[in-house]
Amino acid sequence: MSGEIKSQTISPETLAAEYVHPANCSFRTAENGFLSAVINGKEYKRVILTRALPLNFPDDYICVTDAEKNELGIIEHISEFPEEQRKAVNSELSQRYYCPVVDEIISVKDKMGNFYFDVKIGDFKKSFTVKDISRSIRQVGNSVYLTDIDGNRFKIEDYEKIPPKSRRKIEPYLY
Amino acid sequence: MPVKAEFDLTSDGSLCRGTLLFDGRNLTAAVGENQIFSSSLNTGDELCIRTCSGCATLEVTPENVSDDMSDCLTVCRFSMTQVNKIGEFAKVVNHWLKTGEETEISTQGFRVCPKCGRHYAKGLDVCLFCVEKSYLAKRLFGIAKPYASSFFFASLLVLCATAFSVMLPVINSKIVDNGLSAEAISRGTAAHDIVFYTVVLCATQIMGQVFKMLSQRRANKISTSLSNSLRTQVYDKVQRLSVSSMSGKTAGDLMKRISRDTETVKNFITEQGMYALEKLVMFVVVFILLARISPLLTVLVVIPIPFVAYIMRKFWVFIHIRYEKQWRSESRANSILHDIVRGIRVVKSFGSEDREIEKFASVSRKLADISVSNEHLWATTFPFLFFFTGIGEFFVLYIGGRAVLNGTMTAGQLLEFNLFLGYLYQPLLWMSGLPRRLGELTTSLIKIFEITDEVSDVADSENPVPAQLGGDIVFRDVQFGYKAYEPVLRNINLTVKQGEMIGLVGHSGAGKSTLINLIMRLYDTDAGTITVNGRNIKDMSQSEYREKIGVVFQETFLFSGTVYDNIAYARKTAQPGEVIAAAKAANAHEFIMKLPDGYNTLVGENGLNLSGGERQRISIARAVLRNPEILILDEATSALDPETESSIQDALARLVKGRTTFAIAHRLATLRNADRLVVIEKGRIAETGTHRELLMRNGIYANLVMAQRQTAKLTK
Repeated sequence: MSGEIKSQTISPETLAAEYVHPANCSFRTAENGFLSAVINGKEYKRVILTRALPLNFPDDYICVTDAEKNELGIIEHISEFPEEQRKAVNSELSQRYYCPVVDEIISVKDKMGNFYFDVKIGDFKKSFTVKDISRSIRQVGNSVYLTDIDGNRFKIEDYEKIPPKSRRKIEPYLY
Repeated sequence: MPVKAEFDLTSDGSLCRGTLLFDGRNLTAAVGENQIFSSSLNTGDELCIRTCSGCATLEVTPENVSDDMSDCLTVCRFSMTQVNKIGEFAKVVNHWLKTGEETEISTQGFRVCPKCGRHYAKGLDVCLFCVEKSYLAKRLFGIAKPYASSFFFASLLVLCATAFSVMLPVINSKIVDNGLSAEAISRGTAAHDIVFYTVVLCATQIMGQVFKMLSQRRANKISTSLSNSLRTQVYDKVQRLSVSSMSGKTAGDLMKRISRDTETVKNFITEQGMYALEKLVMFVVVFILLARISPLLTVLVVIPIPFVAYIMRKFWVFIHIRYEKQWRSESRANSILHDIVRGIRVVKSFGSEDREIEKFASVSRKLADISVSNEHLWATTFPFLFFFTGIGEFFVLYIGGRAVLNGTMTAGQLLEFNLFLGYLYQPLLWMSGLPRRLGELTTSLIKIFEITDEVSDVADSENPVPAQLGGDIVFRDVQFGYKAYEPVLRNINLTVKQGEMIGLVGHSGAGKSTLINLIMRLYDTDAGTITVNGRNIKDMSQSEYREKIGVVFQETFLFSGTVYDNIAYARKTAQPGEVIAAAKAANAHEFIMKLPDGYNTLVGENGLNLSGGERQRISIARAVLRNPEILILDEATSALDPETESSIQDALARLVKGRTTFAIAHRLATLRNADRLVVIEKGRIAETGTHRELLMRNGIYANLVMAQRQTAKLTK
């Protein structure tokens, strides 16, 4: 032990071994609608995709697991895969993640500690309730994520780009 | 049979109004006329919900589903708003498929407002969006009702105090008009009149102060009593809440409800409620008095009030949003500070002090900027608002002054009018602050009602049977999930003989602790029964039942107090000899005697820090003192190092002897002495048998043992 430090850090190179990429993995959508994969030559008839950093890097660092949640590998960048496979992967992700984008905030009413939002999502008007507002609103860069009392999620893509009237309604709850 | 539910998403994520229908044989999902799924279900099939992020899917799991679950069928997709309803739908269908019995969809837990369609808040039977203000007012009166007579009396005292204080303008007017009049001076009675009015003024003010003091004393009495009663009511209910209710609330949240919210309600009742009558009466009386002096001036004074009230209201809404932002920024700064102070050891060990200082300085700067901006706004606008509120006074001075000069009004009357104006503005200012206080009150009231109105989901039977636990424990077809749509335990059938020690084994998340929770009846089963000595545990009184159960958890919580108090917590009536005997049996006596004050040593938050092993021995001593008929050891020795664990094993072995025991242990070797091991896998009992039998079977248990041996070798 003459001052030699034995590093136990997992280096990016070590982690790279965990990545799946077009060379060792392919995806396709099976007839029954589930995403299937062939990883290192082994076929998995149903795989589940989970974003490791859903708010910061929704298209990178995607964990691939089997139905029992055993990890099979990590997709570093979806963009590396051929278009057909990208489509299959994105389709599976859109099935697992539902977070409609709010285009306009019509009103936010504070009633007895509950916040009632009326918003516009595309052409639809949607109402939802947020409780414990400081925990239910998250700001990542200019994006704002809201979680309602049922566990539904909503996203404001860029709060600086929504109409000024809408911005004024959400601004007091951002920090 | 037909059972129905609605789903709200298409597979591509568009909103829709879809219908799920099961007719006893076929399951269909349709969006309008378009059928998106149709399949007949067999007896062994099961409907499962897979929750994703912000949505979920309903799937059919066939009887002999493959390990990779690739032969499941996706029925439909829906938002989290529908998940409870579809969970109940799945439960009804699964029960039908399994037993052929028809049940109804339970709406408990997701009741919806018939008016607006929003979900009711948990624990409440009203929709907070549609609730009438009269509902809250009625309930507030309900809280204040026991104090009604004292309250009314205190209000009368306040009124009397005010009546004496409003004598001030009248007497001032008399001094000016009578005492200082040319007539009184010429008569030579001026000095006498001044002395007389001064004495009367002094007497009325003294009387006013006496009534004020009496009303204050009465108010303090009501306030203390009300505060105590409210706090006790909420605390009592918090203690009786089921574990599932408690798990949805943080300790800080519950503490706020018991202390801060009850205080807000008490303050409103005693401070605002008591003065409401006074302010109202004062406004009416002063208005009449003003009108009596000069109707024209009164109209001129009153005309600006609605405009000023309107401007004030708009200003409050505007400033409220800005202060909301400031409050949130303050909360953020506090939260960061709290985090850093709590994690100071981590900060120091990573040498990241500068980073944390910058982080806090940044939010602190932001808070300072917002505060300065708000204070500037307040300082700039408030004088104007104040000016507009009292704009009537200028009319009074101008027109009143002219009236005095014209001789249509006396100087004393003008002075009286001016002084009364102050009394008129007092109730108005009070009323302008009322909406904010009402807002705070309603928020606190709702938070309190959420606790006090909550119906426990683990209810006591109306006619409980005695809890005689000496007998077998039988699990029959037990099914349970913390969420209705996610079963954790399925088809649990197990008979445990009296005095038998059962070791519960399985991977993390398999359902071992859940089974323990059901034995302790911290939750009720969704289906099936647990009987002890032939009696359903749901039919027993919870407190009587739990009094006969002893538990040793992985983490031992020591209350602030002495070692003695902490052991005797298990049985308050225990004699000192019994406490010492329990400590000896738990191998705790020796270390306790080395503490500075022996059994009187203070431990817990404000006392001595004991090691994990010492705390665990105190926990075992508690269990020994309790002398339970059923014993639960939930990872009792997992947090201890092997040496400490072996010193505790003796104590545990003594404790277990002759009692029906359920033990969960991370280190499988500690369960070797169990009479039987029950292996739980994915919520089902996968294997049962002795250590030797299970090893011979070469199944899940054998694999777990092998894996642990491998790990042990690697770490050596």
